[in-house]
Amino acid sequence: MPKIAADKLEPGMKLARPIVGKNGMVMLGEGTELNEKWIERIQDMEIAHVFVDGPPVQTISREEALAALDARFVLVEGKPFMNSIKKIVQQHIEGLYG
Amino acid sequence: MADMDPKVLRHKVENINTLPTVPSVLKRLSAVIEKPRITIVEISAFISNDPALTTKVLKMVNSAIYGFPGRIASVSHATMLLGLNVIKGLLLGVSVFELMQKTMSGLYEHSLACAVASRVIAQKKNLKEPEEVSVAGLLHDIGKVILMLEFAEEYENAMKEAQEKRVSIFDAEKGQFNATHADVGGWLAEKWRFPRNLIEVIEFHHRPMLAKNAPLETAIVHMADLLVRARGFGFAGESFVPEVNPVAFELLNLSDQDIKDVLREMEDNMQIAEDIS
Repeated sequence: MPKIAADKLEPGMKLARPIVGKNGMVMLGEGTELNEKWIERIQDMEIAHVFVDGPPVQTISREEALAALDARFVLVEGKPFMNSIKKIVQQHIEGLYG
Repeated sequence: MADMDPKVLRHKVENINTLPTVPSVLKRLSAVIEKPRITIVEISAFISNDPALTTKVLKMVNSAIYGFPGRIASVSHATMLLGLNVIKGLLLGVSVFELMQKTMSGLYEHSLACAVASRVIAQKKNLKEPEEVSVAGLLHDIGKVILMLEFAEEYENAMKEAQEKRVSIFDAEKGQFNATHADVGGWLAEKWRFPRNLIEVIEFHHRPMLAKNAPLETAIVHMADLLVRARGFGFAGESFVPEVNPVAFELLNLSDQDIKDVLREMEDNMQIAEDIS
């Protein structure tokens, strides 16, 4: 679910999250397919970015992410339940890279 | 400052309204929520009289973080739906946001992710008021904000020590203050007349076995805190995953799939978190 800057939107992209106004009310619903008209209005509303469907964009590489995970767990290796928790988190992180 | 007396510290914290470093918005809020018999109507009026606060509260309750995605249009609607204690907690959460950004970069992300994780686990455990647990997750580290605000130098030392000696920030705080952010948070929650359960969660999220009234809620936030750190969202003083309390872990009895679901919901909501500020 990547976050796209309003000026980078293209027709055909689908909203992964609704666009809500200042008061929290929904202006464009989740799943809306964007066309030229909607994109123009989004830009007019001074919305900085929106969420569209698609795989999330990761800022660091898979290897870096897994190395950072190891570093975070360094004090609890072998402690009760911690290895299985780590394994689940590792699978989760790997899943982010497809 | 290894000789700091916890009683003196507590006195300072409880007089937060007179601390020069505390911003006036938090002082005003503190003065309102510590009143003994404050009503929902008074809280609603307090929020509604401040347009910026109104916007922040509505954004928060309408976000996926709180499980009421979209469609809450007014403060009175929000207070009816969420109840006094959740609204009080939310108000604090949105009011300390900027403070968190200023004092400890990453603490707000940590807190928001913890609010999401706490809500998801609470729902999995069929708790009646998952929003209350979520608010507890949001506020569990509020003690860090106040310590950082009042004792910036000592707190920097604690963070440095934690990272260098590879100990938890919780243990490093003890060396600096003879107390921890959990103590400080508990004192504040008591001063602000939060319900016993919420006070316990904040006070014992590192030692969930001490919770007498709310062992399950405390275990939930303990676990949520750990999972947020495991995933690496935000920053809460050092970068180590703490050891899970085995009793709390067994009490929760989460399946692997449950934990995966919590991580997934956190992941989906964290990008949104940037927009709530």
